[in-house]
Amino acid sequence: MQAKHPAGRLPEPLNPIADDGDETHFCGTCAFSSACIAAGYDKPELAELQCLVEHVGPFRAGEHIFRTGDPFRAIFAVRGGTVKTRMVDKEGREQVLGFYLPGEVIGLNAIYPEHFPCDAVALDTSFFCRFSFPAMSALASRVPAVQSHLFRMLSKELGSASLLAGDHSADERVAAFLMDLAGRYAVRGFSATRFHLSMSRGDIANYLRLAAETVSRVLSRFRAQQLIRIEGRELELLEPAKLHQIGQALLPD
Amino acid sequence: MTTAITPPEFDAALITRYDVAGPRYTSYPTAPHFAAEFDETALRGVIRTSNEEPIPRPLSLYVHVPFCTSPCFYCGCNRIITRDATQADRYLERLYREIELIAPLFDRDRPVYQLHFGGGTPNFLNLSQMGELLESLARHFSFSHVTDREYGIEIDPRFADAAYIQGLGELGFNRISVGIQDFDPAVQQAVNRIQSFEQTREVLDAARSSGFRSASVDLIYGLPLQTVEGFSRTLDQVVTLDPDRVAVYGYAHMPEMFKAQRQIAAADMPDPATRLALFGCALAQLSAAGYVYVGMDHFAKASDELVQAQRAGTLQRNFQGYSTHGDCDIVGLGVSAIGRVGDSYSQNARDLIGYYAALDAGHLPVARGLELDEDDLIRRELIGELMCHGVVDKQHFGARHRLLFDEYFVRGRQRLVPLIKDGLVLEDARKIRVTSRGRLLLRIIAMCFDAYLDDAARATRYSRVI
Repeated sequence: MQAKHPAGRLPEPLNPIADDGDETHFCGTCAFSSACIAAGYDKPELAELQCLVEHVGPFRAGEHIFRTGDPFRAIFAVRGGTVKTRMVDKEGREQVLGFYLPGEVIGLNAIYPEHFPCDAVALDTSFFCRFSFPAMSALASRVPAVQSHLFRMLSKELGSASLLAGDHSADERVAAFLMDLAGRYAVRGFSATRFHLSMSRGDIANYLRLAAETVSRVLSRFRAQQLIRIEGRELELLEPAKLHQIGQALLPD
Repeated sequence: MTTAITPPEFDAALITRYDVAGPRYTSYPTAPHFAAEFDETALRGVIRTSNEEPIPRPLSLYVHVPFCTSPCFYCGCNRIITRDATQADRYLERLYREIELIAPLFDRDRPVYQLHFGGGTPNFLNLSQMGELLESLARHFSFSHVTDREYGIEIDPRFADAAYIQGLGELGFNRISVGIQDFDPAVQQAVNRIQSFEQTREVLDAARSSGFRSASVDLIYGLPLQTVEGFSRTLDQVVTLDPDRVAVYGYAHMPEMFKAQRQIAAADMPDPATRLALFGCALAQLSAAGYVYVGMDHFAKASDELVQAQRAGTLQRNFQGYSTHGDCDIVGLGVSAIGRVGDSYSQNARDLIGYYAALDAGHLPVARGLELDEDDLIRRELIGELMCHGVVDKQHFGARHRLLFDEYFVRGRQRLVPLIKDGLVLEDARKIRVTSRGRLLLRIIAMCFDAYLDDAARATRYSRVI
């Protein structure tokens, strides 16, 4: 077999990765960069404050970043890949709590109990920034901007369950789910209309409290109505406005 | 994307110059690259992953019936010659076990749109065996009830009468593919397949009156003792049978690989010029009769959905040649059957001993396969586009796969240069386009982009391109 040609591949991978930082610069999507920079703390200053950020990973699909009951020492910002958080009940039934995309932070819900109340599982090859929480707290007490950013993230995390609240149809839930993902990708500077669904349909269904077949049926209908184009796990939103309309009851204004 | 289908240009000198061995690309990578490392665990894994797609693909089932009552000497297929009908019962027992093992691995909301029986000779099974087999499939898979579902079967008309065909129609079959090869008695004798025109017509007539929606026939050129006159008569007769599709395969004489072919006297083989004239004759007569050359051995009426799909840009390549259901995952059932699930190929044990042993031990009988990597997937799509539609939009293709086409395919484009000089292909900044001169040499064009072909491999292993 001849050598294959890696030449000619464009650098943009299928899955966005927020990994453009180095010793002195934050990654473009860093959860804390804007807060720190606004307060005049660039990376070298943070290093002096001993708030060392550790790059961890790769975690392969199915690997745990942390498990329920692990002592809480750090929060993790996703640099690349996708993560689901979940709980497993005594009967072994899984409940998917959420999905986390590049630039988003997992582990915030462990701050009070001081141990992780859920599992975090990589859905594809994933990389993280690990922020030691004691160091983080120390920094927050010195830098008000970091503290308020932390609060902001916490309140966002608390509000994120709204996608599931109330009595809504499968169409509404799936449309809201897609638009929510689109919005979160857009915030981080990635395409809001074309992205890769790293989560399985089982995970999506579990998260939305729907049957897997229902998720596929709704997506097939959206495809037939030319609201989306879908090939394998590659998704394109052809009519985001219409999808937003369908899911609006569940989406923030 | 819509494509204008240009009729192919038949230039004997040109084709002779490019007469080298090449794969037919019913899969990419081709079957010789399937490896034993792809085992049962791997197959279960790819099936699981395929269930987890947002909209899991519908299914297409391929069922292989390996038995034949008598050996056709040209055949290079995986088959077993026997007159012992109880062999079928022993085989079916294992086939049911395979169905029971593999069907539950696919989520139940994945409908079966397509079913195809190939062989060997599928009509080695009698109607009650056939009915039982379909029942087993329907019990374990979720058969679609859409009206455009396709149930196809290959039939040897020497062993099927009108009542049998009617019975198949009642079981739900709606597509028939009938082997003819050549009606010339001298050729039939030389290949050990005596089959009258009347037998063939009876089967096709019965299919039409039993609700079959589509009929196709297979011919072979390059057989021993074949003459242009005789083959031309055969083609006239075929046209009167009015099939929707005609496949005209080139005979690959490889007696060192296929034992049955050793029965054919080398002296009876047509010379390369005759071989070419035979194909030219098929091309001319079928075109005159209103058939469109789809590509790679296949002709179809202009109204046929293959031609419609080609015009609409939705045609795909599969193991039977061309397909309008390329979006299905293919489950291969039976000895030597090949499946295509997600981004993988897998093939069952190629002999009955291995196939039976695996199933008797409670294992899926997969013997080898391949998980395609990103480069394989990219090249598979490119080769598929060239073979189905004869044109690739480099910018669209590059955007879809996030690559710079000209740089990524730098070697392939170098290999294309002599073909461009010979007028088989046009390339500009935007597109690669197969010309009418290139349409009969699709394999040669596709081979330029096959990453597995080194120059030594090009010379052997595959049958001639024309």
